[in-house]
Amino acid sequence: MKSNHSSVIEFLFPFLTVAALWELTVRLHLVGMEMLPPPSLLISKLWTLTVRGVLLHHLGSSLYRLTIGYVLAVGLGIAVGALLASRRTLREMFAPVLSMLISVPTIAWVPVLLITMGLGDRTVVTAIFLGGFFAITYNTMRGIEMVNPGQLNAARIMGVGGWRLFVEVLLPASLVSIITGLRLGIGYSWRALVGGEMLSALVEWGIGKMVYQARFWNDVLVMLIGLLIIGFSGFLLDRVLLKWLEQETVEKWGMLAKR
Amino acid sequence: MEVFWRKRRSNNRTGSRWWLPLLPVVVFLAGWQLLSGVNLINPALFPPPTSIAGELVDLYSSGLPTRSLLLTHVMATLRRLIVAAAVGILSGTLVGALMGISRRLYRFLDPLITVLMPVPGIAMAPLFIVWLGFGDPTIIALGSIAAFFPLAYNTAAGVRSIDLQLVRAARMMGADKGTLLLDVYLPWAAGYVLVGIKLGLARCWRTIIAVEFIAAASWGLGYMIWDAAEYLRADVVYGGIFLLIAIYFVIEKGLINTLEKHTVERWGMVRRQ
Repeated sequence: MKSNHSSVIEFLFPFLTVAALWELTVRLHLVGMEMLPPPSLLISKLWTLTVRGVLLHHLGSSLYRLTIGYVLAVGLGIAVGALLASRRTLREMFAPVLSMLISVPTIAWVPVLLITMGLGDRTVVTAIFLGGFFAITYNTMRGIEMVNPGQLNAARIMGVGGWRLFVEVLLPASLVSIITGLRLGIGYSWRALVGGEMLSALVEWGIGKMVYQARFWNDVLVMLIGLLIIGFSGFLLDRVLLKWLEQETVEKWGMLAKR
Repeated sequence: MEVFWRKRRSNNRTGSRWWLPLLPVVVFLAGWQLLSGVNLINPALFPPPTSIAGELVDLYSSGLPTRSLLLTHVMATLRRLIVAAAVGILSGTLVGALMGISRRLYRFLDPLITVLMPVPGIAMAPLFIVWLGFGDPTIIALGSIAAFFPLAYNTAAGVRSIDLQLVRAARMMGADKGTLLLDVYLPWAAGYVLVGIKLGLARCWRTIIAVEFIAAASWGLGYMIWDAAEYLRADVVYGGIFLLIAIYFVIEKGLINTLEKHTVERWGMVRRQ
């Protein structure tokens, strides 16, 4: 097992190399400054944006929307998934529709939402919700379906039923699959957030909006900063939040091989 | 005993209840048609399914003797998809294979890929518009990038996961480098590459539609939908979205499943479900 310290360096090394090469290319005038501003300018601009609080405002409104949409998707997704898993008729009815709806690109909902729900926050939050909902519902349903019937019967014989059966038996037993759904879901929701912010005209703040607005001044610097932040935040949401959840639950319980 | 009984019951049920999945769709469409017809929901925002279908037919037949409006939009998008997917898949597989062979390269590219992969294509669109302008170059470039990542990632995983016993056995039986690559590495990694192609194609399609929303100059399914949304032509929007779902469904079922059947299934790497 490597120490934390050296793995951080190993992770950052490629970025530093790319940044150095990039800086060199621009300084040697191989590409125009306005087409590709060098990392040094990027960092100073990042600093100004942070100090002025602009960046925080953008990032804050994005995370706020993401939280509302995603929490709704998790709550309803798990509930509906569990319902579908427990009723055979419902499952036969809705499973094909559901697997079809998952394959619809989330961005495709946005024009429909813009027409029906207006050009503001509601559209973005609904897109985030839809992005996460189907993946979470589907994986919850599959997970609960695949719970070992022996385990279920054992719990029933010992008099566990109803809500307790769900919370204490079904949920832990299907958590591996549910977490897969949560991870897929946060990815879809994140994309829906960025796309939704860019396309909704009345949204003023948000990290996607920042990138989109930079277009009107051809401000490549702000676009690059936005992209970097979008990439790192997406990465952090998955690695830190959901990886942590996985480690604290299923890996600890020994349901998943440690990697 | 119990399992046996269960199986029989489930067979019985699926046999007689094949229409169940159609029920929610039919109820949904009928309800929509009815509510929209009697103005309980605003028909300007939710035009009844029949008028959406009618609009699609109109779009198809407008300009027909020479070239159909709808078909031109669809073909523009499909052309971009083919070029972008080809570039993305080939370059992704190549880079992935190199990453699989060289540990050094893997360690260098892996962090870059993990950070760049979650950036949605549409977010890169403003940047690429500055670099390449509106239209095909931007759309195709972003489509290729979208397809590239899953391919590189999955191919690398596939090559890295190869059973070294197999490689040694093949070497011992006198396989040279070319044979090793074609007869051992390729079939082993093919399953992974196919998963990559599936994911990559989906990402590519999604990105092309999304980028067409903001970067297309005049044609494309995404452009058609976006243009209609700006003028509040709800029927065109719904029709276009229905079409893009249907087209992708055909691509996935037709193309990818055929590809699977002729490669990994024939080589016995996966079994048909």
